[in-house]
Amino acid sequence: MADAVIVVVLLLVGATATTAVAVRDPARQALVLSVLGVVLAVLFTVLQAPDVGLSQLAVGSALTPLLLLLTVRKVRRRARGKGRQE
Amino acid sequence: MNGWILAATVALGAGVGTALWGVATGPLRRRVVAQNMSTALVCPALLLLSQGYTRPSYVDLALVLALLGPVGTLVFARLLADELADDPPRAWGVTWAVAGFGAVVVGVVSAATGPSRAMVKLLVIGALLIGGNVVASRALSGGFRGVGRG
Repeated sequence: MADAVIVVVLLLVGATATTAVAVRDPARQALVLSVLGVVLAVLFTVLQAPDVGLSQLAVGSALTPLLLLLTVRKVRRRARGKGRQE
Repeated sequence: MNGWILAATVALGAGVGTALWGVATGPLRRRVVAQNMSTALVCPALLLLSQGYTRPSYVDLALVLALLGPVGTLVFARLLADELADDPPRAWGVTWAVAGFGAVVVGVVSAATGPSRAMVKLLVIGALLIGGNVVASRALSGGFRGVGRG
């Protein structure tokens, strides 16, 4: 019974990770990935590793989506610029 | 398993489950709101977990999330601004419901802690959580139009 939290959070991680793979558009994928980062941090906390959870929170909730969105933006802008030149 | 952990389990299962469904389906504006909601729900759940495990140091996780969750939403609000400008998200009902849940959890946990420095920390976390959430929602709905977009 005491492990119910762990089971619930593990199920959430599984569902979120599957969703992150299933979503195709990179911008929407970044949204799911940021939720995944937060849920993973909860999993680490529930498994009594809050130090790992802290770094996962910092990386997962803000940094990963930022890098992804900046990359998507740069790629789109470059594609648009090329289209104009041709 | 005590009541605190049970409450955290219910909040995580129901709240983050709903947020996951919202972030996986529907138009972009609903997904962004659901992402904001997920961080605002996990923060009170972490407070409940720290109380349930009787480890006051776990509160740091909730503090970091209360700071970084709105930052993540602001990243989306800034970089998806062009796509969100066409039909901006309006979800004040959800925002205030989640903020109220956070306020209730912070109130109950700080009442259980009793007046001390730990309680001041909990109140700071609550203020950061609700303030950050409202600012992030306002940014998503295009409230800060004057701020440069590019």
